[in-house]
Amino acid sequence: MIIGSYRVERSTRASRAGFAAMLAVIVALISVPAWAGRAEMRLLIEVSYYLALAQAWNLLAGYAGLVSVGQQAFVGLGCYGFIIATAFLQIPPLVAIPLTVVAVGLIAIPTAFLAFRLRGAHFAIGTWVLAEVLRLIFTLVQAFGAGTGMSLPIHVVLDISENRVIRELILYYVSVAIGIATVLLVFLWLRSREGLALTAIRDSEAASGSVGINQQRTKLTVYLIAALIAGLVGALVVLEKLRITPDAAFSVTDWSANVIFIVIIGGIGSVEGPIVGTLVFFVLRSLLADYGAWYLITLGAIAIIVMLKAPRGVWGLIGSRYDVHLFPVQRRVRLNLD
Amino acid sequence: MATLLSVERVSKSFGAVRAVDNLSFELDQGEALGILGPNGAGKSTLFNLISGDIRPSAGLIRLRQREITHLPSYERCRLGIGRSYQIPQPFGRMTVFENVLAAASFSSGRGESACYDLCIEILGRAGLLDKCNRAADTLTLLERKRLELARALATQPTLLLLDEIAGGLTEGECHELIEVINALRGTGVSIVWIEHVVHVLLAVVDRLLVINFGKFLAEGEPHAVMANAAVQEVYMGIEAE
Ligand SMILES: Nc1ncnc2c1ncn2[C@@H]1O[C@H](COP(=O)(O)OP(=O)(O)OP(=O)(O)O)[C@@H](O)[C@H]1O
Ligand SMILES: [Mg+2]
Repeated sequence: MIIGSYRVERSTRASRAGFAAMLAVIVALISVPAWAGRAEMRLLIEVSYYLALAQAWNLLAGYAGLVSVGQQAFVGLGCYGFIIATAFLQIPPLVAIPLTVVAVGLIAIPTAFLAFRLRGAHFAIGTWVLAEVLRLIFTLVQAFGAGTGMSLPIHVVLDISENRVIRELILYYVSVAIGIATVLLVFLWLRSREGLALTAIRDSEAASGSVGINQQRTKLTVYLIAALIAGLVGALVVLEKLRITPDAAFSVTDWSANVIFIVIIGGIGSVEGPIVGTLVFFVLRSLLADYGAWYLITLGAIAIIVMLKAPRGVWGLIGSRYDVHLFPVQRRVRLNLD
Repeated sequence: MATLLSVERVSKSFGAVRAVDNLSFELDQGEALGILGPNGAGKSTLFNLISGDIRPSAGLIRLRQREITHLPSYERCRLGIGRSYQIPQPFGRMTVFENVLAAASFSSGRGESACYDLCIEILGRAGLLDKCNRAADTLTLLERKRLELARALATQPTLLLLDEIAGGLTEGECHELIEVINALRGTGVSIVWIEHVVHVLLAVVDRLLVINFGKFLAEGEPHAVMANAAVQEVYMGIEAE
């Protein structure tokens, strides 16, 4: 058979439009401090770290098939790692952040070998148990205020900047940058050759091995990157809340349930899904803020309805109907160019 | 002829079911072996054991004398074992091209763009070129089976395991398939082929192995095996499908 020339393309018109829109969003986010108030900035900080956690969980569960309910282990370690580095080791906060992330990564390696012995539901429970054990350990450590927790010493806060406005600006930009960087990282990863492996594992784990993909290595990489992201978020949480307790640091509701909700609602197994999910989550939260328990019940009900009616979430509905990909991870072949 | 694959007293149980029961056989380099047996005889399980999707309860598997019994499937692929799945396992949300590309790239360790030509060529041979940008889960069953073949070919195997790829094909399509496989044999690829469509199998293979209830039943020159009384008995069951 004679094959004419061909070309493999990586972007579509929709993705170019999507990219332009993303750039606009980034510019808007940069300009926020100029026109918005403290409350909006704090909200966007939270949005950023939920976005990062959602992207991480999506890589874990949506691609690598690692349904973790224990990411709070690494958020919590990030919180306490940052406290130890700054309050106890006197390391400047902006240096302490990357150090904390490295430390969390080092701790994550042995946990991976434990967790990877477990499959499916056992893995989920195993990760949860690990996080609970860590939480309990930190309730016992008197130096960190045991169960009641501790505040970030004021000198650490002042070390960032003596000026509150500048401090808040730094925290805002660092958080937003991390949210954006996480999305970019996931996008570039999925677009690369390694992304081909990750996507293949998502779609058929058995067949991915039969075509030469080392699933264990890919999964381990995902697990470690997800842990690093969680650790990073943990450090930011302390900087934002200025105090920490074991229950908040290792909260299964905050760092697993909410994040899982976001990914399921938005659409598991795509870059776009967690972004959409994060937006939906924060809109719902602000709408339902005054309803106490009903807030959680409504979130739960919505999650169940979406799981039953639209297993690929809101983005799945949009993406499959219009075949749009805001992030061009696919390869399109153009045949017979001559 | 040098031995390529040897399966030595291999067994696999699923709970109380002995899916493969103390089975042994060998395959020479360049040889094509057909495997027959009624439904549930353990044929696909045998493939899963050879490709490394599952591990045997007992026995050894060797490729070119090297023991591979406990190697993970990706390493076996890189050693030259390619396979298709009876129930197609496409990477459903990837395009047809990307399915083949992943196979070509990860089996060989080459970069993506170094594999483009090979992928286009294989998709052309498999008759899937016009569908190369389609998401694999939008393909029909027959197209998915072709994709199974294309993806296995993209790993450039020295040993190709084919699990029921001819079912549902028209006479003409069967003929095309036979040509594709025979051409492949011409390039030195060894083949083990599970197929219920016996006349297609007989047009390709040098030798037949028949298994029943996971056990060896008969083996040898195809027509002699088909004439074997014990095979005739279970063969009635095969043909009745
Ligand atoms: N993963 C599994 N778990 C439990 N039992 C299994 C599993 N895989 C196969 N079996 C059982 O092992 C036996 C052999 O199955 P196998 O699929 O290998 O048969 P087969 O010869 O390929 O049949 P067919 O011609 O229908 O494809 C069957 O009884 C089947 O139910
Ligand atoms: Mg079978």
